[in-house]
Amino acid sequence: MTDPASTIRLVIVDDEPLARGILRELLAPHADLQIVAECGNGFEAVKSVTDLKPDLLLLDIQMPKLDGFDVLDLIGTQVPVIFITAYDEYAIKAFEVHAVDYLLKPFSAERLEEALVRARQRIGTKERPPVREIVSAARPDRTPLQRILIRDKADVHVIPVGRIDYVESQDDYVAVKSAGKTYLKEQTLAELETLLDPGAFVRIHRRYILNLSRLARIELAVTDSRIAILSDGTQLPVSRSGYARLRELL
Amino acid sequence: MHPILGDPRRLGIYLLLWLLIGLLLTIGLRGDTAWTTAAAFFLPLCFLYAFVCLSAWYICRFYPLEKGARLINATVVYVVAATIASGSWVLAGGFWALALDNFAGGFAARRLFDGQQLLLLVVGALLFFLAAAAHYLLIAFQASREAEKRAIELDLLAKEAELKALRAQIDPHFIFNSLHSISALTASDPAAARRMCLLLADFLRETLRLGANSRITLSDELALADRFLAIEQVRLGPRLQVARDTDPTASDCLVPPLLLQPLVENAVVHGIAQLIDGGTIRLAAARDGGMLTITLENPCDPDRARTRGVGLGLDLLRKRLTTQYGAAHAVVANEQEGRFLVQVRMPAVTAA
Repeated sequence: MTDPASTIRLVIVDDEPLARGILRELLAPHADLQIVAECGNGFEAVKSVTDLKPDLLLLDIQMPKLDGFDVLDLIGTQVPVIFITAYDEYAIKAFEVHAVDYLLKPFSAERLEEALVRARQRIGTKERPPVREIVSAARPDRTPLQRILIRDKADVHVIPVGRIDYVESQDDYVAVKSAGKTYLKEQTLAELETLLDPGAFVRIHRRYILNLSRLARIELAVTDSRIAILSDGTQLPVSRSGYARLRELL
Repeated sequence: MHPILGDPRRLGIYLLLWLLIGLLLTIGLRGDTAWTTAAAFFLPLCFLYAFVCLSAWYICRFYPLEKGARLINATVVYVVAATIASGSWVLAGGFWALALDNFAGGFAARRLFDGQQLLLLVVGALLFFLAAAAHYLLIAFQASREAEKRAIELDLLAKEAELKALRAQIDPHFIFNSLHSISALTASDPAAARRMCLLLADFLRETLRLGANSRITLSDELALADRFLAIEQVRLGPRLQVARDTDPTASDCLVPPLLLQPLVENAVVHGIAQLIDGGTIRLAAARDGGMLTITLENPCDPDRARTRGVGLGLDLLRKRLTTQYGAAHAVVANEQEGRFLVQVRMPAVTAA
């Protein structure tokens, strides 16, 4: 699969039927390219990447529910991506800075050809662009976070931050607790903390971030350690610095 | 323009004040003279002096109150002017006393006047200074009022310019996406590509044409919205459905140009395009009595990422309606259970 001469299996993602049509049309003459899936939205894109493990993704940015950057955030560095956009100042800047290939609508057959040549070279190497940096540079208005996207194999859960009860750190993962359910996401607690609204979420402990609106009361446990009691009865430890942060906000 | 002479209301108040001064002089300087004599002497004298003191305005204008003013010059001029004014006043007083005694008889005005000339001279000078001070106050008041008015006018001009610039703005996403649709159709359906080209050209031309007017008919505005929606329907396919319900009597109403266009664009970009299955945009216009009501409703994703764009668009809409109709309009926007609704009410005006 790493041999540049072999067939490249690609997935095209665009919510507009005509846009998928022109990709199909322009890719048709390439005998060494095989379109393994056409996706009309981000959920289908994540599913296709999981199920089909394509070599390349042609990914439109403006899409409903999950846009191109959400998809990138979810699939990480799994697949090389060529982005497609009509007009997006921030995204274009991010692509230039991180030398990621992108196409501007409308694009020519030649421009698509160029992008494919570069993509072939990238497939051969293990070199991958820094996903998180691109996402945050392309969407500077994304903090504070409004929702958390969690990939559960081929499925995607969208959790608005208001529905999060608390977040627990579990090694390289965070466990997002919402209405009795647990969702695992590959991210560090420290990174998530910087993205959440500091007025609504507090790092109460090395291992916990709490949604302030869920806090019912704080109880004193043995010798100056404290316990946060949530409105659903859950008990979470509060560290000394966590307690100081809480007091600042309450 | 003289600030008092030029305004009958102010002149009235000014003369009333002088009547008061006349009464005070009557009471204060009457001595043992009869009330009628004192009043007959002082009241007309004060009426005369009221007009003499209006001349203070010319000096006030010549020596405006500001930093680095020629204070010594002004003082000298004022003292000389006050002396002349007051002197002539006292002289007139002498003649008036004589006239009263000689022609009307029974008065003892001379007796009242004699021996008080010096006092009257001082009072006259002081009153002249007082009048000058009052003129300065009035001039300052007028200047500040004018500055305020100019500021408001400038503000209005700036707002109009801003509105014009915003109206003329066409979303680049829309243009590039439309061109991409045309490019996509070129090989697969050339006739559709041509139709799309013509639709886009019509939409752009109409946007420029309508934007140049100060008011257009609602039917023109709705025709533009139809073109826009037709173009977006090519791009979004069956995801975008449109339902129109326009009361025929509403079509002739005049509206500011491109008033609805940003709302329709929002309904597509922030509403339909953010939904995987799309939905229906409902656009209705009705006229009840003196009011025109336009309603736009679209489905939306309650969990979508919020942008400031929609709020700004509504603010701009309110500003435009305020400029045009003052308080006689209402813009209501609300979002409930995945439906976004905007209702605009304004006076129903038709071309004469």
